[in-house]
Amino acid sequence: MAPPAQELDQLLSQCALGDREAFRALYEATAAKLFAVALRILRREDWAEEVLQECYVSVWRHAPEYKADRAAPMTWMTSIVRNRCLDWLRRPNPEPLADEALEALESPNPGPLARLEEGRDSAALARCLRGLDARQRQAIALAFFDGLSHAELAKHLREPLGTVKTWVRRGLQRLKACLGALP
Amino acid sequence: MNCRDKPELRERLAAEYALGTLRGRARERLRRWLRDDPELARDVAAWEARLAPMAEGLSPVAPPRRLWAKIERQLSFKRPFSLWKSLGLVASGAVAALLAVAVVLPLRPSGVPASYVAVLTDPKTNAAVLVATAERSGRVLRVNTLDPAIHVAGRSLELWALPRGGEPKSLGLVPAKRGDLKLLAAADQSLGDVPSLAISLEPHGGSPSGQPTGPVLYSGPCVKYW
Repeated sequence: MAPPAQELDQLLSQCALGDREAFRALYEATAAKLFAVALRILRREDWAEEVLQECYVSVWRHAPEYKADRAAPMTWMTSIVRNRCLDWLRRPNPEPLADEALEALESPNPGPLARLEEGRDSAALARCLRGLDARQRQAIALAFFDGLSHAELAKHLREPLGTVKTWVRRGLQRLKACLGALP
Repeated sequence: MNCRDKPELRERLAAEYALGTLRGRARERLRRWLRDDPELARDVAAWEARLAPMAEGLSPVAPPRRLWAKIERQLSFKRPFSLWKSLGLVASGAVAALLAVAVVLPLRPSGVPASYVAVLTDPKTNAAVLVATAERSGRVLRVNTLDPAIHVAGRSLELWALPRGGEPKSLGLVPAKRGDLKLLAAADQSLGDVPSLAISLEPHGGSPSGQPTGPVLYSGPCVKYW
């Protein structure tokens, strides 16, 4: 589990001042979490490594722009990594996800979804995800964890594109309502 | 298209951008809008905050150890070796400490004192914090941490040999109190051309790169006593 947000906040603000020791500590505290995120989406260690390298370089350079009141540090860094991964998959071609690979995807349910319940920052989200229709939940999880596009979701779930888009859209709406209603 | 006027649409785009299902040109377009539409940027940030905790569900996977070194290289961080330039300043104060300690060195069972002696000091106080000794043909470096308070919780202190004109070579982690570190070769080879030793602060378990990565906290001369 990642260290508390306050600790990472502190490290990030030290990074903003050019403190390399703090950057090193930040890397130590977060690299394995973020590598797992990248590896899951990209499915290749060498790509995940390259993306993570770009991300940490970017974190160091943009640390002065990080604003703790806007995003929790782990949210900020996770988003950087996920965005880079999705950009990477769009490059003129890192091999599109083969059909067999799609078939072989581990179902994120229960896997990572089950583990969410134990997370300090994810318990509320886990509760709200549980409240979704199973298919909405699965579509959202596949999109988040595996970086699947609507088209890939449709193929993987063997459903028409429109149907899958609707699941994702409704799922997200319900998620927002549920998270907003929690204390 | 201007999504500014269509709250439902902008909400959906923000959510799908954060989830990652917004792809291709739509994704790039939204990214451009983000630069000059702070409200949209806030919507996206809110969605990222809602969804990012999902990552907690993934079991951590340690990246290859070389990754950190690659990041440092890309950022042109100082090469670790340059950290050692500060050493000259420390050495002179340490000589006095070395002489003071050397005369009271414990004798080996045979009655012969150790051949190589190093005394590492704290540059701020000049106090000796660690003594290391070895017999000339021995393959063991005996380390006595005089000040156990130098240890830092959750981190490791690593002892380095600084060969003349070469890169630092790790001798091992500094023991809590007394301990023996194995030398790769007999002391005459391992320490013969090593005018000084130093201690750096490293992540728990020691430097992942084989070269010092943290600050040099203590150092001192390493001499052949006889």
